[in-house]
Amino acid sequence: MVLRLWNYMRGYVIIRVQGLTLERFINICMARDIYLWDVKRIDNTTLETKISIEGFKDLKKIVRKIDCKVSIFEKHGYPFWIHRLKKRKMLLLGAFFCFLLLVFVSTFIFSIEIAGNENVEKAEIISKLNNLGFKPGANRCFINLRKLENQLLLEIDQLAWVGVEIKGIKAKVEVAEKILPPNKIDKDIPCNVVAQKNGVIEKVITKSGHAVVKEGDIVKKGDILISGIIQLEHIGNSIPVHSYGDVYAKTYYEAMGEKNLTEIKEKKTGQKFVKKILNLGNVELSFNRGKIPYEFYIVEKRSKKLLQWRKIGLPVELIIEEYYEVNKIEITVNEVEAKNHVHKEALDSILEEIPFEAEILNTQIDFTVKDGVLYGKVIIEALENIAVQKTLQIGED
Amino acid sequence: MWENGGIKKGLAEILELPKDIILDLPKIIMIGNLQIYIENHKGILEYTDNRIRINTKNGTLRIIGKNLMLKNIVAEEIFIVGEINQVEFID
Repeated sequence: MVLRLWNYMRGYVIIRVQGLTLERFINICMARDIYLWDVKRIDNTTLETKISIEGFKDLKKIVRKIDCKVSIFEKHGYPFWIHRLKKRKMLLLGAFFCFLLLVFVSTFIFSIEIAGNENVEKAEIISKLNNLGFKPGANRCFINLRKLENQLLLEIDQLAWVGVEIKGIKAKVEVAEKILPPNKIDKDIPCNVVAQKNGVIEKVITKSGHAVVKEGDIVKKGDILISGIIQLEHIGNSIPVHSYGDVYAKTYYEAMGEKNLTEIKEKKTGQKFVKKILNLGNVELSFNRGKIPYEFYIVEKRSKKLLQWRKIGLPVELIIEEYYEVNKIEITVNEVEAKNHVHKEALDSILEEIPFEAEILNTQIDFTVKDGVLYGKVIIEALENIAVQKTLQIGED
Repeated sequence: MWENGGIKKGLAEILELPKDIILDLPKIIMIGNLQIYIENHKGILEYTDNRIRINTKNGTLRIIGKNLMLKNIVAEEIFIVGEINQVEFID
């Protein structure tokens, strides 16, 4: 194999020698250190042999001595290939330009991917990017990514961070949005104060405007708490004002949690069944036959890759699948533990909803057991400011 | 009385030297009937598809077989492949 590769690299020719004294030809070649290999007798007067290029050149000198006719039958090897390529310069040039073109074309951006946007429209980001000159078809050599990021940040206020990355012909734009503070309404603009959550009013502190709710009232989300329209009795007309104030209300948060009181646990019996699969590209070759002999089992997969270098490797992979037999065991869960678990689960889901400023007044949990499942219902009573300003629509009243 | 070869032969036997070097004899290695490897030959006398005759120090080595092919030939060794039926020394 190595020898053949070596011969290929050096180049060799297959020659046919015609004559009556072929043995003499071989002996002379041997004496002159001309290396012959794969010598075949074609017929009585013909011999076929492989000979290196240098050997063939030396052969010309001795061919006159002996009464043989030498003709080249085939040419093999790398030097001939190069020689042929030299003759076809245009082909070489074409291949070179093709490569150059490929490199050149790959500097253009073909697609833009946007990730991380929630409230800002994708189309908006794309159109802004297009305005900045960043679009499919743009050459990445002429784009300053850092500058582009800054420009995009300036263009779209809602963004807090922009990261542009070009991978090959694909551009990835990652954005992070700002969390905007609640809209501040200018003092000159008339507005109402409305409820942002359902609740029972506890305290109303009106700083401006006309309170329309009092302690003990039940309000729904969106209900007007402090009206921005003040009725002037002696004139009989109403004037809009910028109302503001704090309205504290009891709010209720509710969450459910559940847990099975009997748990099924899997326990390994110690029995093992190993399956080996050879993965060649997309072809899977399994070494083991037959089904997995267990009813319940856990699979553990391991794979060994051959000649792995970073992400590049041969597409040959040995997958070892180990099937462990398991027994299923029913375990009754300790009720106290189950309750704790349910309580925690419910609280976890609820706590995110409760604003940080809210004062928690009361928590309550009810447990019910139904069909072997423990349900827990958590109710949290909190006191918080539910007031939020909303602009009065002109012409609404 | 003592021939040239006789002395050498005796010497080789006393000193336990390899005879192929001392006596200039061919060393022949066969692998089944598929390959034959001859070291220290003195040239080819005849080469055809089913018969090869090789000159050596102690006579002509004749190989008879089918589809014989000279895989490799250099000054010191010959490597023949094919279906070998007979290997014999003829004077």
